[in-house]
Amino acid sequence: MNYFPDEVLEHIFDFVTSQRDRNSVSQVCKPWYKIESSSRQKVFVGNCYAISPERVIERFPGLKSITLKGKPHFADFNLVPHDWGGFVHPWIDAFARNNMGLEELKLKRMVISDDSLELISRSFANFKSLVLVSCEGFSTDGLAAIASNCSFLRELDLQENDVEDHRGHWLSCFPDTCTSLVSLNFACLKGDVNLAALVRLVARSPNLRSLRLNHAVPLDILQKILMRAPHLVDLGVGSYVHDPDSETYNKLVTALRKCKSVKSLSGFLEAAPQCLPAFHLICPNLTSLNLSYAPGIHGTELRKLIRHCRKLQRLWILDCIGDEGLEVVAATCKDLQEIRVFPSDPFVGNAAVTEVGLVALSSGCPKLHSILYFCQQMTNAALITVAKNSPNFTRFRLCILDPTKPDAVTNQPLDEGFGAIVQSCKGLRRLSMSGLLTDQVFLYIGMYAEQLEMISIAFAGDTDKGMQYLLNGCKKLRKLEIRDCPFGNAALLMDVGKYETMRSLWMSSCNVTLGGCKSLAKKMPMLNVEIINETDQMDISADDEQKVEKMFLYRTLAGRRKDAPEFVWTL
Amino acid sequence: MGRGAASSSSSSFESSSYPSVSSESSFPQLKRDLSTDLRLGLSISTSQQDTPSTPSEQLSDWPPSKPFPRKALESEENECSSSTLFVKVYMEGIQIGRKLNLLAHDGYHDLIQTLDQMFNTNILWPEMDVENSGHCHVLTYEDKEGDWLIVGDVPWEMFLPSVRRLKITRADSL
Repeated sequence: MNYFPDEVLEHIFDFVTSQRDRNSVSQVCKPWYKIESSSRQKVFVGNCYAISPERVIERFPGLKSITLKGKPHFADFNLVPHDWGGFVHPWIDAFARNNMGLEELKLKRMVISDDSLELISRSFANFKSLVLVSCEGFSTDGLAAIASNCSFLRELDLQENDVEDHRGHWLSCFPDTCTSLVSLNFACLKGDVNLAALVRLVARSPNLRSLRLNHAVPLDILQKILMRAPHLVDLGVGSYVHDPDSETYNKLVTALRKCKSVKSLSGFLEAAPQCLPAFHLICPNLTSLNLSYAPGIHGTELRKLIRHCRKLQRLWILDCIGDEGLEVVAATCKDLQEIRVFPSDPFVGNAAVTEVGLVALSSGCPKLHSILYFCQQMTNAALITVAKNSPNFTRFRLCILDPTKPDAVTNQPLDEGFGAIVQSCKGLRRLSMSGLLTDQVFLYIGMYAEQLEMISIAFAGDTDKGMQYLLNGCKKLRKLEIRDCPFGNAALLMDVGKYETMRSLWMSSCNVTLGGCKSLAKKMPMLNVEIINETDQMDISADDEQKVEKMFLYRTLAGRRKDAPEFVWTL
Repeated sequence: MGRGAASSSSSSFESSSYPSVSSESSFPQLKRDLSTDLRLGLSISTSQQDTPSTPSEQLSDWPPSKPFPRKALESEENECSSSTLFVKVYMEGIQIGRKLNLLAHDGYHDLIQTLDQMFNTNILWPEMDVENSGHCHVLTYEDKEGDWLIVGDVPWEMFLPSVRRLKITRADSL
């Protein structure tokens, strides 16, 4: 193909959209590398410290859309101290200075300041989409800047961020000329919003298809919004509370009757169960339902709702649905592909789920391939049954609330159960395990989990062999996160080259020592081996025999990072 | 991994209170002792340290689910934990009334059946055929505005939030 002009090659490459495929294309030969790099518009950086922004800009001058991820996954569970890092400002700064035509920015687990948001809003004339997931460091002032200055904004999607709420009128900052909004999600904001401004904004956004409200938006405003946006496809109900007068409620039902396009429903951050039947009107069309923020919806009301949802493909709920509720799901939702059952507050009854619910789901839902399941207990028999029923799992994450609980019936470790899962589910890419587990389960995983890319382990294994089986066997492993396991230096140092084929490794409360980590860092200069030291127990001159509390290592082309806080040492 | 409870818990441990996480300096040690214990398969006992609560409760990082936004909703749960809607039901001529959980019913038909049984009568409502006119009652309700209306005119889902109480009156007294 070398005799094709560049424009033709570029046109052909336009059809190659996935990043992995484009990476492959760029490795064929130098001319292809050049053309692909200059024409690539969308870039994904899984670890913001793996490469410098300057290098990304240099290679992809036509970059319009970038996704960046910062903190390690375990940061979600309070395992990573505040201020660890993940600061996005150097990236924004570099893009601005180099006049990049940035249009889309997606960040996950990063720290972004109001200044950065302001800089974005002023530097990129065509900026269209801002998606922030599990981020922090900014306030509603930053949102006001985005609203004010991004004339062509299509998407502002805030998912589970920690936002400082200055109760400003950021919503009012969208100018009257802004009519381009397609997606607006502010469900995670804690404070009040200007309700009149919200309604006006919806009224002048004819392309609005996705709207997720926060708890400060009451029922009567929801009704007004729905009347002005009957073409919504994705709705996040804010507050759905208590005692609406009949007229408001009737108007809401009328408005819901007109919303024939809603396929995705979430929210109900505060909910009065007796008002729920209004949504039965929408249920038959739903493909996605997220009630994981709605502790007030459970029992009969929840089951009634689900019985109407025959087309559901994705369901996120709390474990107060119970095994009984999951049986209703299994009987009703034959198209179900993904389910997540989250733990609800322990104070609310004994409604947690068990292996019964899991088996029901795998028996009843033939298309189920992705599950996150927090449960009271599990058995090998159940896991073996699930493995037989559902060989198509790509993501299987099981969390038993008591992390080392054995098989609830036989008191044996759950090795055989998980072994059956990895043996049967040949396409498994992500796995999390819990319960009593020995080295044996890792042998199975190493033997069978050929497509496994990410695995999370807690309180499992007996000896270094466990981790060694894993590292030896899983050729496609990219992310490994381990906590509270008896794996030490022998496992860590067995195959140091392996870590260059992976994105990152997290180990906390294991048996690796400072000496082991130092040794690894010395052998592998292309890795950043970071020790997180929160207590004063350890310092630079500490004994090499001392166990390391938290270690995070990742491959990088950027060298040691310059923004590491005091408690993070790069060895 | 997901969203859910702010504090960790396990139903296999008895406790009535969930104390806040212990101070940073003792925490890492506590965790290590716990993990040793767990690996040995020992049951968690409260006697291993001086702390009054079981170690598992003090793990603010287990279960692995995001605390947001449950903190804000904790007080909410006590109010919303019931899925019942009990209303008073009176039969004309009888001073002592009954109470009925509307949410335990699927719709008007279900409700009428229950009331027929409770009060040993036949209740007419708008969509029914009138076959025997004698010994008949009609179901009415008081709405939030204080007005008395015939049950059955509006869809069930509109009826539920507006009803305050029910009354069974004789058909011929209307």
